[in-house]
Amino acid sequence: MNRILAWCVLLSVVLIGCAGPSSEERGVYGLTLAPSGIDPHVNASSELGIPLTSVYDTLVYLDPETGEFVPGLAERWDISSDGLVHTFYLRRGVTFHDGTPFNAEAVRFNLARITSPDLASQKARFMLGPYERVHVVDEYTVQIYLSEPFAPFLDTLSQVYLGMASPAAVEQWGDEYQLHQVGSGPFVFAEYVPGDHILLRRNPDYAWGPTVYRHETAQLEEIEFRFFTDPATRSPALETGEVDVMGEIPPQDAARLKSNPDFRIEPVPIPGASLMIFMNTERPPLDDVRVRQALLYATDRQAIVSTVFRESSPVAHGPLAAVTLGYEPAVEEFYPFDVERAMALLAEVGWSDTDGDGVRDREGQPLALDLYLMGWGHMPEVGQWLISQWAELGIAVNSQVVSYPEALEVAAQGKHHLIPFNLSGSDPDILRQFFHSQAEFNWSKIADLEMDTWLETAARTLERADRVELYSRVQLRVMDGALVIPIRDYVNLNGVSNRVQGLGFDAQGWFPWLIDVTLSE
Amino acid sequence: MIKWYKPRRRPLLRQPVVLVALGWLVLVGGAALLAPWLALGDPVVVSAERVLLSPKADFLLGTDMLGRDVLARLVWGGRWTLGMGLVGLGLAVGLGLPVGLVSGTVGGWLDVVLMRMVDGMLAFPGLLLAMATIAVLGRSIISVAVAVGLAAAPAYARVARSATREVRAQPYVDAARAIGSTEGHVMVRHVLPNVTAPLLAFAATQLGWILLNGAALNFLGLGVELGTPEWGAMLADGRGYLRDGPWASAFPGLALTLTVLAVNLLADGVQEATRPR
Repeated sequence: MNRILAWCVLLSVVLIGCAGPSSEERGVYGLTLAPSGIDPHVNASSELGIPLTSVYDTLVYLDPETGEFVPGLAERWDISSDGLVHTFYLRRGVTFHDGTPFNAEAVRFNLARITSPDLASQKARFMLGPYERVHVVDEYTVQIYLSEPFAPFLDTLSQVYLGMASPAAVEQWGDEYQLHQVGSGPFVFAEYVPGDHILLRRNPDYAWGPTVYRHETAQLEEIEFRFFTDPATRSPALETGEVDVMGEIPPQDAARLKSNPDFRIEPVPIPGASLMIFMNTERPPLDDVRVRQALLYATDRQAIVSTVFRESSPVAHGPLAAVTLGYEPAVEEFYPFDVERAMALLAEVGWSDTDGDGVRDREGQPLALDLYLMGWGHMPEVGQWLISQWAELGIAVNSQVVSYPEALEVAAQGKHHLIPFNLSGSDPDILRQFFHSQAEFNWSKIADLEMDTWLETAARTLERADRVELYSRVQLRVMDGALVIPIRDYVNLNGVSNRVQGLGFDAQGWFPWLIDVTLSE
Repeated sequence: MIKWYKPRRRPLLRQPVVLVALGWLVLVGGAALLAPWLALGDPVVVSAERVLLSPKADFLLGTDMLGRDVLARLVWGGRWTLGMGLVGLGLAVGLGLPVGLVSGTVGGWLDVVLMRMVDGMLAFPGLLLAMATIAVLGRSIISVAVAVGLAAAPAYARVARSATREVRAQPYVDAARAIGSTEGHVMVRHVLPNVTAPLLAFAATQLGWILLNGAALNFLGLGVELGTPEWGAMLADGRGYLRDGPWASAFPGLALTLTVLAVNLLADGVQEATRPR
């Protein structure tokens, strides 16, 4: 009897195992960070959007091919002539994964949640810019009022951070909502074990995808996301078949994977700010523009790109990556690698090695700069390169690797000479986060009132050509004033198993459209 | 109890294993000391032209991901790693020995207070204690040396105390007291010389721990500045390039392993040489 029972248990285990999705229907996706929070309305991590872009729908979508906005949960929209009122006419028949109907009230609920001070939103609230209020006109019409025109507004609404969540689920779960997220997208948020994995399951009822999606419903039954925070583990996980797609493969591993017929590298250039080193213009000796220019001339960016990045990403010349809307190519004329010129500039300011210790000095003070680096994005390698290269010119660098919160603190107190950073974003308004005198990331400590005006005006200007003209001026001013040392444009090297087809990315370059992904044996 | 094996006492320099270990330590230490005068490549200059070259005539141990000579970095790195180890050991002994001696000699409430403090510190894993120290002191190689030294000190105090108590129970100490020696005199003249042997052996064991954990802290980026050739930091730098240039991290790893092994073998040897007859 016991033996029969044991066989039954064993058999049922096997049968349950068989009933799960086959390997053709189940994909595994490698993430590179384990974010501390993944509520898109609250948290800022770009990693959270990789799974969640497929859990939530947004009012509009940005077509990466045309650069135009296309309908999402909003069938169409009007913008008032003064640019202050956006009226959205919503799609009917959309339901969230928990059965809650999507309507104007749901939009109002979501915007009210994001803008509520209690939520302490780190990104979504900021992205809404001059948002004032939301007004429900009727069940399927909603108006959003701004206090002043805001050009990036549709871009904001197209991103997962403004994804529409089920009001019923948000009410039900409260502070624990991030573990039980409910959207209306092609995949259902099935399971999240922080630090371990996220599981998405196909939404069979999905029928309201935007035109940028090629399929009506998701092609895979399940997608599991696992975290690979150590870059050295990413390529092995792909090569052993543990994952099907892996983001941010280190360049040296990507170079090797390219020659493997079972895998391919899908490089996605990321728009936004390039990897650049902010120079603190308030702290001597970097308060002198000639010293900052000397550092720019003394930096062999091509060598860094070929060594650290293995030519996988282009040399950056200005504060914006070349694929960003409004990129000004004239920045490429600035600061070629020129050691002679760097040395001449330093000598002109009075920095020379009088005591023969290999480090330049002036009035008894050595030319020593404090460099703070975060441990990701190959910044430590870039830092080592610069330290060594600049040492030959008699510039000493004290380096320290810090965490992101430490970097924020250091930068806020202005204790740094140099901090590298990069940030992605599809709208050039991202420049306002770095070079406006009141900006959150004003790590160059620049207070240029004219540039402030350009940035503010550009954010209010709806005419694209006029905006681009203003951003062009900002980029030239940034390089003219030698506020940053641009290093490279960010390119996400996705390692993809050849059994994966149909992997496409949104206009941010970070977020995959998983609905179209298929797997073969 | 049956003793199957009666350990023999053998002079240090008669033990072949010790000679080999000493040979390695002299080689590594000597190279580190003489680094500026050896005909080596530059340990910090980067070069785009010679990234991850495999070991060959020009670069005996190859080059790392930024084109730096691994051999030169290894030799110069010995200065940081071994220097950090010696400073840490000095601190561990300098703090642990007096505390243990006094605690074992004075006894009473002082012994209780000191040993409870030591127990408190021993309750934390050594590496955690070291990381907490660095959190207070800030990141630098000095902090690492101080941190591992502090973390090793309580164990040293414990061993010093028990050795002291053991010696103090000997008849000759009673005899010294009987002829009127003061406690201080007993401590310096009778206890200290007789605890040297076990404490020396334990110090050598601890040096191994200090080297390993100091390198671990540097590996974690809590110690030396970026680009400084230090074995732990070199291991960390090369770790992402294991497939394309294993030599960049294998050689510092090997150097560290062999050095710690040599130090531990030396500790065994000291123990064997000083074993009571």
